[in-house]
Amino acid sequence: MTMDPFERFDEFLAEADSDGALRETRSRAEARMSRVGLLGLGISGAGALLFARTPAARAAALPAGDVDILNYALVLEYLQASFYTEAERSGALTGKTAQAARVVGATERAHVKAFLELLGSKAVKRPTFNFQGVTEAQRPFLKTAVGFEDLAVAAYKGQATKLQSNAVLAAAVGIHSVEARHAAWMRELFGITPAVKAFDPAASRSQINRIVSRTHFIVAKPKMKVRRKPKFTG
Amino acid sequence: MGAAAALGGLAAVPVVGRLFRLGSANAAPSKAQDIQILQVVMQLEFAQVAFYERALREAGLKGDLREFAQTSLGHEREHLSAIRGALGAKTVARPKMEFGAKTKSPNAFIAAATELEDLAVAGYNGQATNLTKHTLAAAAEIVSVEARHAAWVRAIAGEVAAPDPVDKPITAQEFAQGLRQFGVKS
Repeated sequence: MTMDPFERFDEFLAEADSDGALRETRSRAEARMSRVGLLGLGISGAGALLFARTPAARAAALPAGDVDILNYALVLEYLQASFYTEAERSGALTGKTAQAARVVGATERAHVKAFLELLGSKAVKRPTFNFQGVTEAQRPFLKTAVGFEDLAVAAYKGQATKLQSNAVLAAAVGIHSVEARHAAWMRELFGITPAVKAFDPAASRSQINRIVSRTHFIVAKPKMKVRRKPKFTG
Repeated sequence: MGAAAALGGLAAVPVVGRLFRLGSANAAPSKAQDIQILQVVMQLEFAQVAFYERALREAGLKGDLREFAQTSLGHEREHLSAIRGALGAKTVARPKMEFGAKTKSPNAFIAAATELEDLAVAGYNGQATNLTKHTLAAAAEIVSVEARHAAWVRAIAGEVAAPDPVDKPITAQEFAQGLRQFGVKS
């Protein structure tokens, strides 16, 4: 089914056409997110442009390099949001893990929504995922969640110094540290040390792409017209 | 020790201001401003080291909580040493600290550790746009570890470990004020 996920992953990032469709359950996290506002994080001046009323105006105000980085982050957020949503729906999670998956899933969906609002028509579309069954049992779920969250931390860190807009940087670091909280939470639930080293290393885009491609979780580039929820793998 | 090495690249630049001046430290990033920011951060790391040391002696920590405190203490010592190395001759003296009941029982310790680690995350995040890219890269390697600590102690306590979808930053002034409220005396 999948030929070259690595190549495809890059294609998704280059994909600039989208109707910005997102049908996610409106969650508490989303509500909180829109109250805080992705870019309403105490940044004025440079950020003011980004509060433009229309998505097109907002996206136009973003430096091209930042749009590219935001789309890269959006793909990682799609990946996480779809993963948690599917795990929740599978009904395989119990106890503290089920609770954590609900909370973290709501947050990842809120991140997706915030990026879509920010990027407007420049947002890449959601790829099709196949989580290879890992959302259908607790241990594989937790192991994958640890991997995703540690990956997200390294990915955001790798891009932080490349962002030009201070408003986007302020938002990105606020998400970066939340991904680190998620990583620690999932590690604790999995039964491994939540904070292994004193310094968390960054990872480059090509390193992240290589890791994601090895999972074979991304199986198809986004459909141009079809809107649908993440597919189940079972 | 990537962050330590990166921080070590800072050149010594005369320090114009102290903590109170940092409230307005939002000029374009510069090495001089990095130093001012790192001086506040150094106070934080001093406070974290002292807090975990004291709690390990006084709070009666056992099991997971003790492991958390010991691991975090090790990390904070490494952070402090990296920042000391970066500041060179511009290091600040170890402040006086009074933690009161915070290190006297497991429950008080959980609440205080959560508060201190959240303060660290918000404080580091709040300076992201004020730092040169060089120092930002190093600070980013530290802040996510502080965030992991915050989530870890919450998870041990059975709380929601990541309550917010995005971490709200605070200004340098709020950061310094938060440290004072926690018990850092200078």
